[in-house]
Amino acid sequence: EDQYELDTANLAIVEQRRRALDEWLAWRALVENELHEERRALGLPEDPMEETDPKATEDAVVE
Amino acid sequence: MRPILLQGHERSLTQIKYTKDGDILFSTAKDHVVCAWFSANGERLGTYHGHQGALWTVDVDPSTTLLATGAADNTIRLWDVRMGKCLKTWDFPTAIKRVEFSEDGTQLVAVTEQRMGYLGTIVVLDIVVDVNAEQADEPRLRITCEESKATVAGWSYLSKYIIAGHEDGSVSQYDSGTGDLLQNVQVHEEGLQVTDLQWAPDRTYFITASKDKTAKILAANNLKILKSYVADTPLNTAAITPKKDFVILGGGQAAMDVTTTSSRQGKFEARFYHRIFEDEIGRVKGHFGPLNTIAVHPRGQGYASGGEDGYVRVHHFDKPYFDFMYEVEREQARR
Repeated sequence: EDQYELDTANLAIVEQRRRALDEWLAWRALVENELHEERRALGLPEDPMEETDPKATEDAVVE
Repeated sequence: MRPILLQGHERSLTQIKYTKDGDILFSTAKDHVVCAWFSANGERLGTYHGHQGALWTVDVDPSTTLLATGAADNTIRLWDVRMGKCLKTWDFPTAIKRVEFSEDGTQLVAVTEQRMGYLGTIVVLDIVVDVNAEQADEPRLRITCEESKATVAGWSYLSKYIIAGHEDGSVSQYDSGTGDLLQNVQVHEEGLQVTDLQWAPDRTYFITASKDKTAKILAANNLKILKSYVADTPLNTAAITPKKDFVILGGGQAAMDVTTTSSRQGKFEARFYHRIFEDEIGRVKGHFGPLNTIAVHPRGQGYASGGEDGYVRVHHFDKPYFDFMYEVEREQARR
């Protein structure tokens, strides 16, 4: 019986984590999508890392 | 892997920042000197001399051209990262507690201290990301904090909002163009200050740390509290880890604030929490005093912590760290 209660408790935790993960991923997808759209509308690359990546702009520097 | 101990500061650390590629890290301390270090081996690359008071804050622009610092000598200074030369000094009536570049490096937000006769303010300086350029003499924007002084501030995605944490434990969202206060939310326990505010890589959400022993993740667009992490000690710093869904918290009570203290009590450890599930998953020992600042490598390869003990400890994550996953995460990955 103790084992049964433990299993039920564990199951509830796993279920809660599953829900938390799904919620988080859904929220991230929504926000990332919005951000990409806003960036596109402003004529910016989707990924902000691109525009200011020092390694990407290094070659463009003429000394 | 064993951490690398960076010895060079003579006083307690106040802030650490990595460059965008993570190769170099900058540290400020109460000893008036800014240090630059190679993050891979801990070798000191250089120092930046000129401030006449304790340094509170540092940031580097995304192209690693300019460094901004703020100090108790009431100045913000702009430095040529490569040459170590001070390019510009802005004077204020009070100390500078925080500086942060916008995501494109063209604006700098700064928090000024409150003092008799002066309310705390948040100022914005337009920056030309060029070491030979003439920089503006005056801030473009000044926001006065009438209610409670700001302790930290930063830029949201697209530099739309300035988000600030306050002494009273609240968080504000300002329009970065006009400086209008859009929202103020009592995120942390009233009267217990927000001590740190750090961003997710895309700046759509951020984490706050507070003396109320908690850290919280909020959405930048609506200040909704998404996650909460409960610790057993006042927090000075909190950071978000790219690559893995974790957060790292640091804090600890100074010896003068408690009757008995010992590093074995575990108060001086960096604490890792799962970002989504909010559970504590591990601790890293090492410092002999409270952790004042934590910075995470922008590519998620490691982190650095700065302590009241005057040391910076640089950690490179190893395989078990990257392999760690909850069963539901494995499930998700298989889907």
